[in-house]
Amino acid sequence: MPNDIAGTFLRRPKPLLMTHVVAGYPDLDESRKTVETMVENGADLVEIQIPFTDPLADGPVITAANRAALARGVRPKDVFAMVRRLTQNTAAPLLVMTYANIPHRMGFERFASACAEAGAAGVIIPDLAFDEAGGDWPGLFRRYGTAWIPVLSPGMQEERMRRILAGTSGFAYVTLRTGTTGARLRIGKAGLDFLGRVREVSGPPVAAGFGISRPEHVRALRNKADAVVIGSRLLELYNAGGAKKVGAFLRLCRREPESSSASG
Amino acid sequence: MRITRPRARSRFFGRYGGRFVPEMLVPALEELEEAYLSLRNNPGFKRELARIRRDFAGRPTPLAFAENLTRKAGGCRIYLKMECLAHTGAHKINNVLGQILLARRMGKTRIIAETGAGQHGLAVAAGAARFGLRCTVFMGEIDMRRQRPNVFAMEIMGAEIVPVRDGSRTLKDAVTAALKDWIEHLDTTHYLLGSALGPHPYPRMVREFQSVIGREVKRQLAALRISRPDILVACVGGGSNSLGLFHPFLRNGKVRCVGVEAGGRGSRPGDHAVRFGAHGRPGIVQGYLSYFLQDRDGQILPTHSVSAGLDYAGISPELADLHDRKRVEFVAVTDREALEGYRLLAAEEGIIPALESAHAVAYGVKAAADLPRSRVMVINISGRGDKDLFIAARALDRGNWLAFLKDEADRAE
Repeated sequence: MPNDIAGTFLRRPKPLLMTHVVAGYPDLDESRKTVETMVENGADLVEIQIPFTDPLADGPVITAANRAALARGVRPKDVFAMVRRLTQNTAAPLLVMTYANIPHRMGFERFASACAEAGAAGVIIPDLAFDEAGGDWPGLFRRYGTAWIPVLSPGMQEERMRRILAGTSGFAYVTLRTGTTGARLRIGKAGLDFLGRVREVSGPPVAAGFGISRPEHVRALRNKADAVVIGSRLLELYNAGGAKKVGAFLRLCRREPESSSASG
Repeated sequence: MRITRPRARSRFFGRYGGRFVPEMLVPALEELEEAYLSLRNNPGFKRELARIRRDFAGRPTPLAFAENLTRKAGGCRIYLKMECLAHTGAHKINNVLGQILLARRMGKTRIIAETGAGQHGLAVAAGAARFGLRCTVFMGEIDMRRQRPNVFAMEIMGAEIVPVRDGSRTLKDAVTAALKDWIEHLDTTHYLLGSALGPHPYPRMVREFQSVIGREVKRQLAALRISRPDILVACVGGGSNSLGLFHPFLRNGKVRCVGVEAGGRGSRPGDHAVRFGAHGRPGIVQGYLSYFLQDRDGQILPTHSVSAGLDYAGISPELADLHDRKRVEFVAVTDREALEGYRLLAAEEGIIPALESAHAVAYGVKAAADLPRSRVMVINISGRGDKDLFIAARALDRGNWLAFLKDEADRAE
């Protein structure tokens, strides 16, 4: 079942690999093929970003890809069509990621329905707090069979974290640091401590991201996270050598080599 | 599901406002809100703010009767609220001083800000210099080119100016860059947002710091034995000078409030910044729900105005609510009309307004003509026009100005 997040977390070896693509970068066809390459080379979950003009939580690499995709005229409906096509022939659950103005413009209900229709397993909207504007956003998407994936960050209050986790279906996305997306050389202690705090609260599986850029990062998170998210680094590799280079890196991550100067 | 009137009403103005940010910003916004709520009525804080407003910013600013402009318009009496006489040349300093005192009490050592025309950046640079705080100002690359004099002034005050090369390379992108920097440096840094927008608590806090404008107008009119103004006119970029003027009068239904948007060079997308027009509709961008210029998919449209301070795609959520409730009227003035307003105020009153304020002047003079002499209009001259000299002179006196610039460049070499 391509939209079975729980089953994926149960069946696949931990930590799962979650990858990210900006739909329509460099074009729709190529980004779709990149998703296929990712899944063939070990990605267990793929986050597909609907490009937005003002992607607040993204660093320069992903922001530039958003910009380029929009310059090519990519629209949300194109992304849903791409997800639909992918869910028909990829085993990995696909997650739609975007910013709040895209679903707001479309209408949240219509957006949730479009996600479900396309076969998306989950949705990530970093700038839509789970309870803002009196909304039960997780509940809305759940009614359509799509999991709401919250993004939790170091510094957040315990009480808020518990409330979010209690309402989460699917899994929780934990950022290992505060900041925008982007590859980093090392994973900080504060991030690992926060990850530990989240895991102490019994709840859904936990994916860790922000800064993951080397196979040894994946290894370092083996017993600490159920999944790791690799975003900007894969885009940098794509920019340097296309989907082939992305696939090679994911294979390295899958093997979790004992020593690796990584990956370029 | 629709965005409904939420329970946490203080975060919203009607359906607008809110705190639509990544979770990682929530603790910083909560810290700011707590500091603000605990200090806003603290007598020590209020005393300190009043003193620094008087001694450093030069408040109260005058309310001047514009005798010649009134005669020229041939209608109601026109008064000018001279925010252009506040230190650093614009109303922006009102909010800056409030937030800097807050930031110091929160133990922050670094201030970041965004700026379009440079008026806000300049006020922040001045405030940071005065209080010994490190300062970084994000500015769109295009705005840096348009507002070189302000860039120089900010730099000489010790601020670091970061050119923003993303997107439309103007104010909107500077806001995004500042928010991203803030996300990276939450521990040490206060983001000194320059208008009554962004995530809660900024819209409410900035409006409150700016309301000093309207409160002074009230007192100053009373001293002239005028019980209330009939019409208030202010330009609207983000909305801080207009809300600052309007807010103390909003409860009095007899006072008309008119916000003047940038009509730019035409009505096509990308040629103007009229949020309450054909391309503006509610959206969630940069942390808040308000009207934004956007396309059918929710992508933010580029903007244009001759004034670098008005070409912003969003607008204060409080103004969005006041618009929907029809409590504030909005009109648009074109680049050309604004330049005429600039020339007119200079020629009639000896005051060179910022091109932003020139939008308000242009509309005000037109509207005044239709009102009887017994009525009173107050136009907010939100800033002075030195910074716009390069733009205005090129438009109004092209030949001489270009010759002067060429001559200066030759001499510099």
